Amino acid sequence: MTNRAWRLVGIPLIGLGCAAGVAAGEPAANVHQGKLVYERYCMSCHGEKGDGQGEFAEWISPKPRDYRQGTYKWRSTPSDSLPTDDDLERVLTNGLYGTYMPTWYAIGRRQRRDVIAYIKTFSPRFATEKPAAPITIPTEPLYSDESVKRGRATYTKFKCSQCHGEQGQGDGPSSHELKDDWGNPMVPYDLTQGHVKCGDTGADIYRVFITGLSGTPMPSFADSVSPAEAWDLVHFIQSLSPGYKKNLAAAPRGSQ
Amino acid sequence: MSNKTILSVPLRRGLVMALCLGLSMPALAIPAFARKYGLRCTACHESWPVLNDFGRNFRDNGYQLRLGKDDVVTANPGYWPVAVHITPHYEYTSLTNQTTDQGKKTLKSGGIADASMDLLTAGTLTKDISFLVVPTGFASDGAVSLESYWASFSRVLGTDWLNIRVGKHEVDLPASPHRGISLASSYLVYDYHPGPSDNVASAFGLSVNQRGLEVTGHDRGSTLRYSASIFSANDSLGSRHGLSSPSVYGHVQKYFQLDSDSVSQVALGVWGAYANYPTSSLTSGGVPIPGTGSDLRSSTRYGLEAQAWLFHAAAPLHLNLVYGHGSDNKDLYLGAADRNGTWNGGFLEAIWVPAVDFLQLGLFARYDFIRNQNQPVSGTARTYNDQDQTTVGVRHTIAYSNRDEVGFHLEYSTLRAKGVADDGSGVRASTLFLGVDFLY
Repeated sequence: MTNRAWRLVGIPLIGLGCAAGVAAGEPAANVHQGKLVYERYCMSCHGEKGDGQGEFAEWISPKPRDYRQGTYKWRSTPSDSLPTDDDLERVLTNGLYGTYMPTWYAIGRRQRRDVIAYIKTFSPRFATEKPAAPITIPTEPLYSDESVKRGRATYTKFKCSQCHGEQGQGDGPSSHELKDDWGNPMVPYDLTQGHVKCGDTGADIYRVFITGLSGTPMPSFADSVSPAEAWDLVHFIQSLSPGYKKNLAAAPRGSQ
Repeated sequence: MSNKTILSVPLRRGLVMALCLGLSMPALAIPAFARKYGLRCTACHESWPVLNDFGRNFRDNGYQLRLGKDDVVTANPGYWPVAVHITPHYEYTSLTNQTTDQGKKTLKSGGIADASMDLLTAGTLTKDISFLVVPTGFASDGAVSLESYWASFSRVLGTDWLNIRVGKHEVDLPASPHRGISLASSYLVYDYHPGPSDNVASAFGLSVNQRGLEVTGHDRGSTLRYSASIFSANDSLGSRHGLSSPSVYGHVQKYFQLDSDSVSQVALGVWGAYANYPTSSLTSGGVPIPGTGSDLRSSTRYGLEAQAWLFHAAAPLHLNLVYGHGSDNKDLYLGAADRNGTWNGGFLEAIWVPAVDFLQLGLFARYDFIRNQNQPVSGTARTYNDQDQTTVGVRHTIAYSNRDEVGFHLEYSTLRAKGVADDGSGVRASTLFLGVDFLY
């Protein structure tokens, strides 16, 4: 019985998996399945209707995203554009450090893709608009003491300290007055934590300057900052905490 | 009249204990984590309390989400790492072919069971150091025991491939008996011993938590993972060796996440254990003196697992096949054993979460089997105490939140053991279980 059971059930089970793996293409994202993924993982914060009013939302800050407006902070697309699927996938994969949005890397790409398709149904914008083309991120120049110094000057020039504070600790003079588009109080990010919510690479930080964070007081500097200035600013932020050092190791560098 | 005189002797470990184990295992689903992180039970549990991919990764990461909110000083001050679990339930049991003074009878009994309670305390002490302490019992007999207690150090040397846990811990089995969806039956393969049950000196049970040290490692998504435990085997008299009853357990699993509508994931694994028990000791007044055992003899267990998740991973039909081989040294049998006892066993479990709104339904079924290979006493029939167990059940969760979980649980399990009645006939033990399972 035992050996027979193994032959009858075990081997086909393994074969089934192998066959499915070989045969699998990349099926289109499935909104119906995405709803189940959403209910399983997302609903307690983002709410059944995608309005950011889940049962846990009352207790946490920053508040969960209200999907109905189609307004997203973490994008590769220009200010106020819809995000691309890759943008949403990046947030799901990496999570948002310092918030209650965990990384959903472990659930696999299929579930992430399906839930993205479902999340997009909450906003009519996705039915009528396409995301704009992602911004271009130029090659990162060498990290150097000089670029950090220039970045400090850029930080002052664009009055970043007004919100983020002189030392980047999120305690600037305006820090207590900020609200998002939904009226929720906003706290400027403490850049000295050594982590950035949307990802820790230089490109992740660069992207925020250019796209801005739609729905928040963090504007886009796409029309005012040059690529060189933006990279200097990235290096200045990376100089604020040893926590960023792991990223510097992967970045081109001049002197330390 | 005591159980010993009512029940057929071999049932005491092989059958009744198997049933009791299933009922007494604290279920390790911990609402304190849901409260801490604001996640529904479904985020970590495919169908409570069986872990899904996210839950497995969360556990492997030392119960941390690693987004700066894990440390107790960064968590919400209202967070308290304690949860309570209890299952008031009605239970009806029947046991056939039992010898009584009135002849061979089927013993039947039903009523609201004397349920025990689990206090599940677990959390993060500081970054990358987590803990779990589980006092369990509190039934009418007043007994309380520490079912589990450990401290865990994650990312030792800065890598997910080296995590260390110290204390009384569950070894990393292919299907956790502490997270099993069944509340009325146990996985037979983990704890079986061949031969007449009161003749076995080794009480080794894989489903029992072991005191020792566990080293684990995994990749980012816990799709490739290993665990290795070194421990003093449970319920040993104890020996003069540094680890008393030195034993090891190992397990390697690989998960393959597939982009398919029919099969969303497959997992394969191997597992094995080598446990040592003393077979002689110093005595006082004829009674063995604890800690003086010697002449260690081994019990070995090893096997394979194959899992498949059919349909979509959010609402899967999860099939889990585990096959194992066991061997107990002949010296571990107190009676007239003349050869090692060996056997094969395993189970096929199916858990189905139908794709209905809010995923509140879980249906499950399991078939367990034990097939003896060599009886330790060579004159014994080879099929003596061969076992077949079938379990079916349904669980309807009426409240899933980030604070609590309440579910109705209906289950039927029947176990048939060959030749174990006093007259050599088979015995069937059946259980009907209907309960309200809640934890908060």
